[in-house]
Amino acid sequence: MSHLDIELQQLKAETIKMWTLVNLQLNKGKESLLNLDKDLAREVILSERRVNAYELKLDRDCENIFALFNPVAVDLRFVLAVLKINNNLERTGDIAEGIAKFVINVDHNFDKQLLELTRAVEMYEAAINMMNETLQAFDQENTAIARKVFQQDELLDDINIKANAVIADYIRNHPECIESALYLLSIIRKLERVGDQAKNVAEEIIFYIEAKVLKHRSIVEKNKK
Amino acid sequence: MNKLEARNVNVFYGPNQVIKDVSISIKKNTVTAFIGPSGCGKSTFLRLFNRMNDYIDIFKMEGRIEIDGSDIYDKQIRVEELRKQIGMVFQKPNPFPKTIYENVIYGLRIQGIKDKKILDEVVEKSLKQAALWEEVKDKLKNSALALSGGQQQRLCIARTLAVAPTVILMDEPASALDPISSAKVEELIYELKSQYTIVIVTHNMQQAGRVSDTTAFFYMGELVEHDSTKMIFTNPKNERTQNYITGRFG
Amino acid sequence: MNSSKKNRLKDNAFKYFGIGCTTFGLAMLAIFIGNILIEGFARIDWDFITNFPSRNPDKAGILPALIGTLWIMGLTAIISIPLGISAAIYLEEYGKKSRLANVLEINISNLAGVPSIIYGLLGLEIFGRIMGMGGSLLAGASTLSLLILPIIIVSTREALKAVPKSIKEASFAMGASKWQTISYQLLPASFGGIITGIILALSRAVGETAPLIVIGALAYVPFVPSSPTDEFSVLPIQIFNWISRPQKGFAINAASAIIVLLMVTFVLNGIAMYLRNKWQKKVQW
Repeated sequence: MSHLDIELQQLKAETIKMWTLVNLQLNKGKESLLNLDKDLAREVILSERRVNAYELKLDRDCENIFALFNPVAVDLRFVLAVLKINNNLERTGDIAEGIAKFVINVDHNFDKQLLELTRAVEMYEAAINMMNETLQAFDQENTAIARKVFQQDELLDDINIKANAVIADYIRNHPECIESALYLLSIIRKLERVGDQAKNVAEEIIFYIEAKVLKHRSIVEKNKK
Repeated sequence: MNKLEARNVNVFYGPNQVIKDVSISIKKNTVTAFIGPSGCGKSTFLRLFNRMNDYIDIFKMEGRIEIDGSDIYDKQIRVEELRKQIGMVFQKPNPFPKTIYENVIYGLRIQGIKDKKILDEVVEKSLKQAALWEEVKDKLKNSALALSGGQQQRLCIARTLAVAPTVILMDEPASALDPISSAKVEELIYELKSQYTIVIVTHNMQQAGRVSDTTAFFYMGELVEHDSTKMIFTNPKNERTQNYITGRFG
Repeated sequence: MNSSKKNRLKDNAFKYFGIGCTTFGLAMLAIFIGNILIEGFARIDWDFITNFPSRNPDKAGILPALIGTLWIMGLTAIISIPLGISAAIYLEEYGKKSRLANVLEINISNLAGVPSIIYGLLGLEIFGRIMGMGGSLLAGASTLSLLILPIIIVSTREALKAVPKSIKEASFAMGASKWQTISYQLLPASFGGIITGIILALSRAVGETAPLIVIGALAYVPFVPSSPTDEFSVLPIQIFNWISRPQKGFAINAASAIIVLLMVTFVLNGIAMYLRNKWQKKVQW
C-alpha cells in the first residue's frame, strides 16, 4: 500500500472516531432528556472538548495531506469531503452540547404528554439514526445508504413545522409548564439542524464517491443515480 | 545521539565558497530531504557524508562531519570502510555492465567474500528489500543493462543494501524515472526508513513532501531552514523557504 | 532562379564531386591490389612460404622474413602492451592534473607523429649500441615498441575515458579502492577499445621498414630466427630487397610477398573489428 493510502486510511479512522463520539453525545443527550439525568447531560458537555480537539486534529491532518501529498481525483475529493464533514460533525457536537445545557437548566421532567404530542422523541431518534446511517455510508463507501438520509430529513422538517402549533396549543392549556415547553421547542429546532448537518454530510459522501455535486438540488434530483 | 552531524561546514572549490557555515543534525532512521534551486550546494553537501568530493582536485573543506559521533574526515578513517557504512544511490541509474547477480554482490566481492551460499543469500535478501526480487529472480544471470530504468534504479538500491550500510544517501534518485517507477522508488524509501537513515536530494518538492520526515532548504550554499517536513510545507519560518516551495522564487 | 533552387544545385554539385573523389581513391586502391594480385598470385604456393631466400627467383621464399615478422610482432606486443596500458592507466586515473602532466600529455600526442626513422636512430643508439643488443630481434622489437607506445597510450586513455563517470562513482561509492575500480570495472568495460587500439598499433608496427633498416635488420637471412637475440629480417625489408633487384622474377616475388603482408595486416584489422563489435554489444550505456 502506498504511503498516501496509509495516510488516507488513518484520516478515515480518525474521522470515524470523532463521528462515533458525536453520535454518542447525541444518544446520551436523548437519554438525559428522557430521564432528566443531569449528570449524563454534564458528561455530554464535557466530551464536547474532545470533539473540538478532534476537529483541530482533523483540520491539521487534512492540511498536511494537502501540503505533503498533493492528492488528486478521488483522493482529493476524499480529503475535501473529510474537511467539510469534520466541520459538520463539530457543529453537531455543538448542538448536542446545547441540548444538554437545556436539560441542565430545566427544573423538572418534561411532560410525557407533551413529548408525545410534539413527537420530539421520534424526531430525536430519527436524527440519531440519520447520523448513524451517514457514518455507515462513510465507513462502507455506500452511496445508497447516504441517499436514504435525504428522505428521513423530510420527517424532521415536518415535525419541526408542526411543533409551533403544538407547543402554542400546549402552553395555552398548561401555562404553568411554559418554561419547559419553550425549552422543548428549542430542542426541536436544534434537532432540525442536526438533520441538516446529516444531509450535508450525506452530500459530501456522494460527492467524494461519485464526484456528483448535490447541493441545492431537490430531493427527487438527489435520489437520481 | 544524532546519526549524522555536520558542524560549521564550509566547502570551497578553488576560490569559490559553495557551502557556507552549514550545521545540521540528522536523527537515526529518518528520511531527510535536501531541497533548493540548482547550484545551491545541496548535492555537494550530500556528497560530503561519504567523501565523494575527495576526487575533485580543487575541493577543500573546513568544519566537522560526524557519523555516530566520530569524525569522518579524520586521518585514521579509511574511506573505503566509511562507504560501506554510508551507501549512495545516484541520479541516473548506474548499474555495472555485468549480470544482475554480479551487480548485487559487487560490494561483497571487493571485500573478498567468495562463499557462494552467503552471496546467494545476500542477493535474495537485498533484491527482496528493494522490491525487485519477484521481477528478476528468474534472470539473475542476465545483464543488468537489459532492465528498465526503474528496475535499474531499484537494482542500484539493492546493490547498496547488500553491504548493509546504516545510512543511504540518495542524489535525486527518481528524477530520471517515469512517474510509475518514481512512485515505486518513493515507496521503497518510505519502507526502508525503519532500518536505515536516509538523506535524499530532490528537485521535486512533492517528492520531498511525500517521503521525508524533515526537510532542509538550501540556498546559495547556506542552510536556510531545517525543520519537520510538515512545518516546512505548511508553515515555513523563513520567507525564502516560503517563496521557494510555493514556486514564487525569483 | 530562386535561392532554394540554387541551394539544391550546389548540394547536388558537391554530392557528385564527393562521389568522384571517393571513386578516385577506391579506384587507385583497386588498381594497386589488382595489379599485385595479377602479378603475384600465381607465385604463391607452399614452397614460396617455406623456402629460404635464394639468388634464383623461382626458388626464393619468404620463410625467414615471415617468421621474423611474427617474432617482431609477438615481442613488440609483449613489451608495448603492459607498458602502454600501465602508463595510460596512470595518466588517466592516478596522475594529478598539474602543469607537468599537461606537458607530458601534449608530448605523448606529439610522439605519435614523429617520423619512424627517428625512432630507428634512437633504437640504434640505445638498444643496439649502449645496451649492446646489436641487430637482434629484441632491439627491433624494442624500437618498434617505442614507436607504437604513444599510439597505445592515447587509444587506451580514450577507451578509459569512454567509460561513463557514473560507473566509476558507483564503484567508489560501494567502497571499492582505486585499483579495484580499475580492475573490476574500468578495464573490463574498456577492453574492446583498448584491444582495438593495440591491434591497430601492432599492424602499423608490422608494416614498418625504416627503423628496422636503421637498427641493422638483414636483407638476406639464410636461417629461421629461434631466439630474441638472433638477427632477423622482416617482410617489408624482404619486399624492399626484391623490388630493388633488376630481375623480373624478383619483382613477381615482391608482389607475392606484398600479398602475404597485406593478408597479415588484414587479419589483424579483422580481429580488431570483431573484438570491438563483440565488446560493444556486451557493454552498452
